[in-house]
Amino acid sequence: MTAATWSRFRRSRLAIGALVYIGIVALIAVCAPLLTSDPNSVDLASRLRPPDRTHRLGTDDLGRDVLSRVIYGARISLSVGFTATAISLIIGSLLGAIAGYYDGLADWGVSRLIEVVLCFPFLLLVLAIVALFRPSFLTVMIALGLTSWTTEARFMRGEFLRIREMEFAQAARASGARDSRIIFRHLLPNAIAPVLVSASFGVASAILIESALSFLGMSIPPPTATWGNILSSAEQHIEYAWWLAVFPGIAIFLTVAAFNIVGDRFRDALDPRSE
Amino acid sequence: MASYIVRRLLYGVLTFFGITLAVFVLVHSVPGDPIDFYVGTHITHLSQAALDAIRHEHHLDEPLAAQYLYWLRGVLKLDFGTSIVDHQRVTTRILQKLPNTFELNLIAFLLAAVIGVPIGLWSATRSGRPVERASAVLFFLLYSLPSFWVALLLMEFFSVKLGVLPLFGMTSDEYLELSAAQKFLDHARHLVLPVITLTYAQLAIFARFSKSALTEVIRQDYITTARAKGAAPQAVLWRHAFRNALIPLITLLGLVIPFLISGSVIVEQIFEWDGIGRLYFTSILARDYPTVLGLTVATAIVTLLASLLADVLYAVADPRIRFGETAT
Repeated sequence: MTAATWSRFRRSRLAIGALVYIGIVALIAVCAPLLTSDPNSVDLASRLRPPDRTHRLGTDDLGRDVLSRVIYGARISLSVGFTATAISLIIGSLLGAIAGYYDGLADWGVSRLIEVVLCFPFLLLVLAIVALFRPSFLTVMIALGLTSWTTEARFMRGEFLRIREMEFAQAARASGARDSRIIFRHLLPNAIAPVLVSASFGVASAILIESALSFLGMSIPPPTATWGNILSSAEQHIEYAWWLAVFPGIAIFLTVAAFNIVGDRFRDALDPRSE
Repeated sequence: MASYIVRRLLYGVLTFFGITLAVFVLVHSVPGDPIDFYVGTHITHLSQAALDAIRHEHHLDEPLAAQYLYWLRGVLKLDFGTSIVDHQRVTTRILQKLPNTFELNLIAFLLAAVIGVPIGLWSATRSGRPVERASAVLFFLLYSLPSFWVALLLMEFFSVKLGVLPLFGMTSDEYLELSAAQKFLDHARHLVLPVITLTYAQLAIFARFSKSALTEVIRQDYITTARAKGAAPQAVLWRHAFRNALIPLITLLGLVIPFLISGSVIVEQIFEWDGIGRLYFTSILARDYPTVLGLTVATAIVTLLASLLADVLYAVADPRIRFGETAT
């Protein structure tokens, strides 16, 4: 990120707020054991208690503290969000770079591959992969990473097409650099910014999909606390336990919105025309 | 234009093979015996001879390439095998549930278009003003709301707290005893919450898409020309800009369908709406792989057909695509 981009980004108070919020959530997730009690400690004597002094956000159907579960849920959401996006960033950048740099058959092949992936309804494909390979932290991340790289690939390809004939690239070529060096040392660093914008949206969507999978019982298996699986217990007790439905939902919503806002404002900041 | 359409269709055929190959590879990369997919995991009571017979019947004793071709032949005949749950043909099961999903999604799609497009066009004409910036943020927030959470809150509020709308299902228990008018009303009441849940997220897509389409059009030279020759600002918008801004909306056809199907899985599951989304998820839980794979391939092919249709319509509507340089 250049200084000019950052100073344009900084002008948006909303974007800074979102960034600060993400930082706080990440800090809470890392320090979870210091901040709260064991999210899995069952207390059948105090099942489905509404929020009070001891349980600020109430308890669930096993008497577990909802606040601790929401805090520990942040660990799952953020780590799935970041790792899945890292996987799709690597796949997408590589394929997009190859397509944009080599043109011709490589470009054609990658474009057809993207077309195929985009035909599948995203959630169906992810559900099928997770179900076939059994739900776990690993399968969810891999399923999300393998299915969501197309946007990154398209952005990377577009950037490569734009910059590959620029003078600095020609200079590198003229001085006898190998293709791999031109791609990774010269072109990639100059093409990465728009791809990072789509990665920010990617984290938002990975968190959203993971919570949906958890809600459907198709993500990290219980008793691990995730925002989605607290909501699925809320569905069973919808007639009397509103607090189960409200708080984890707010956590998902704010976190997803924060990543979306950062992505949006970052995109605007990259584009001087948007002034 | 003919050559453009022919090329597009040829790519479509290639994509079709890509879709089937992707699903086939996915299934065969799962550890374990593929026979599980056809008869379920409860096969321990079968004799070796019976297992071999099943293997032979499903061509599992042949090389992978031959297996793929057998499977492909089935897909081309819209034959995805039989469900391991009720031994009905997968195609029959899909066709039974399809109308319910179609009803729900068509209503939500039309509502989202009718509300979202005008808002998007309006906010493009107010670009940069506080109202527009606020509405953009609002749509962003709307887009970030998890649909299953919205569904839960709607149920919590309208069904539990106020008790004015049914929690789930497509009809009430006493539906069969109602008169025709009451039946209609009863069904409509069951539609309200799932339709709202499906509509709000699409609304954001429609609004953002039509906003950026109009913003793009307003930057074009012919708009500057129209303004320069003294046309009234309103006339420029209505006569020149809006009509051209609506053309890119055609591409939404191919983009929105997979989104709708994904959304249907969650919404139909929560509201116990008896459509293909719910069929998909119950099949996942039951490990009914023929149904899961059949639906995955079928929905991908529907998306493919929709995006082909969108591309052809786009070429018909926009001469720049027809006569311009090759699209990638």
